[in-house]
Amino acid sequence: MSTPSLAPFILKRKWLASWMKPLSNWYCNAAGYRQLGLRADDIIPEENDMVQLALKRLPPKEAYDRVFRLRRAFQCSVSHQLLPKEQWTKPEEDGPYLTSIIKEIEAEMAEREDLEAMVVQKRDNNATKAH
Amino acid sequence: MFPRSTVCRGAQRAVRRQAAHPVQRRGLAAPASGSFQYQAGEAKGVRFASRDFTGPTTTLALVSKAGTRFQPLPGLTEGLANFAFRSTDRRSTLRIVRESELLGAELKAYHTRENLVLEAKFLRDDLPYFVELLGEVASSTKYTPWAYNEEVVPLIHMAHKKFLASPLDMAINSAHSLAFHRGLGTPTASSSITPYTKYLSPETIAGYAQYAFAKPNFAVVANGAENADLSKWVDQFFNDTPASFEGYIPGGEASKYFGGEERIAHDGGNAMVLAFPGSSAFTGKHYKPELAVLGSLLGGQSSIKWSPGFSLLASAAATPSTHVKTTSASYSDAGLIYTTITGSAANVGKTAMAAVATIKKVAAGEITKEQIQKAKAAAKFAELERGQDILHGLELTGSGLVHGSKAYQMDEVAKAIDGVTDAKVKEAAKSLLDNKASVSAVGDLFLLPYAEDMGLKV
Repeated sequence: MSTPSLAPFILKRKWLASWMKPLSNWYCNAAGYRQLGLRADDIIPEENDMVQLALKRLPPKEAYDRVFRLRRAFQCSVSHQLLPKEQWTKPEEDGPYLTSIIKEIEAEMAEREDLEAMVVQKRDNNATKAH
Repeated sequence: MFPRSTVCRGAQRAVRRQAAHPVQRRGLAAPASGSFQYQAGEAKGVRFASRDFTGPTTTLALVSKAGTRFQPLPGLTEGLANFAFRSTDRRSTLRIVRESELLGAELKAYHTRENLVLEAKFLRDDLPYFVELLGEVASSTKYTPWAYNEEVVPLIHMAHKKFLASPLDMAINSAHSLAFHRGLGTPTASSSITPYTKYLSPETIAGYAQYAFAKPNFAVVANGAENADLSKWVDQFFNDTPASFEGYIPGGEASKYFGGEERIAHDGGNAMVLAFPGSSAFTGKHYKPELAVLGSLLGGQSSIKWSPGFSLLASAAATPSTHVKTTSASYSDAGLIYTTITGSAANVGKTAMAAVATIKKVAAGEITKEQIQKAKAAAKFAELERGQDILHGLELTGSGLVHGSKAYQMDEVAKAIDGVTDAKVKEAAKSLLDNKASVSAVGDLFLLPYAEDMGLKV
């Protein structure tokens, strides 16, 4: 599920972004998922309907690659090893591929909620004139 | 008597209309046949037609020349029909459904052999909203892979199952493919699962949409809307549809009749279709009103309850539970006149034999004048009713505009049927027997007869 994020706020301000960039790079490396060949979107908790639906909507190639990365990371984790350095996820590869779909689904669900909560009013000209 | 507001409103509307269009003035009590006429026009390359009924509702349809006849790959028309009214760039599927629900409207998308029809029924005041919606569906539907997998494919699977479960549908489609091979012969539902799973994808459907919703290939038809209004809104909302389509689309060449016989084993019932070359639609080139008369002369279906009816084939049916029906299906440049027989296998076989004997009788002239008179009246009624029936009228008019640039005018069709002579009907019956027939039997093949046994040429 998409979580609240300061990123849009920071990215809008160039000076702030240039301050935060080294910090975020350090954090992503320290998080350790890149050393297992994963991407940030691979570790989004998937035990809910929204992400399950998003996973179903992935194009076949993306879905295959995701499963490959997860299995490789699992093997590494089980054997208490990291991948060789050239196989680590590079920062430029670490883009969102699932978040965009999750956001779409969230928007859909929010729209549904809005429509459910709608109060219907008669149009003015219909309310005054009988049909 | 009338509630006061109703009377006032009618009067107001009449005054308003007279002020707006002094030329096409028509009192409220004008003869009914006058309002059958469609007024056609064109706005920025989009053809439209409308007729103004003084009712509170409007039926609006976008008729596109994208039926199964024109699909370059199997299943595209079905896919496109099922993608109609789904998410567009501006609105989601859910919003489209909810909004039209709130307006009390009904949305429908279906296809025939030649046309793809997107249809909306709504209250008269909402015309702009629905013209905009149709414009949006035509120009900016999002053909996303997930919508295809989640919403479109299950519907196509369902249509496929429904088709396979109905011997009659199978027989009619098989007769069409015998008669016309490709083009008009393409089955309207996917008859086997391989073609559509193999060729169908959101990208190919999106490509076909470029053809289907290019301006020269569709028409907007309204029933119960003022021509000036429709013209204004069409002018405004169809700007984003492609102006033309470059590329090859099959089905454009003139239909050719072949004929033949096909027998399909089926567990769920028995159906036989005896088909012969027929008449094109009134808006097409090969219009032969005598075939419509011959169709209703052979008939088979009763228009009176609790009686088999007076048509020739009704008396030929072996038992009351054997259903016979003769249809004169007309398309833009060809037609097929076919008799469908359903029931138990033995009775279907017997009735098919009797039907051919009846056609031979008509060809030999062994029928009375009254019978032809009756058939003419029935054919005229059927045609007028079909045109008056809003749904058929819309599709006929739209397809007339798209295929022949001519709206379907019912009054002229009725005149053509009036002009049919007895000799012409006999001649038509003779021509059926001289030509090759298309015979399709679905069901218990042990009992159903071959065309050769019935005395038909295949």
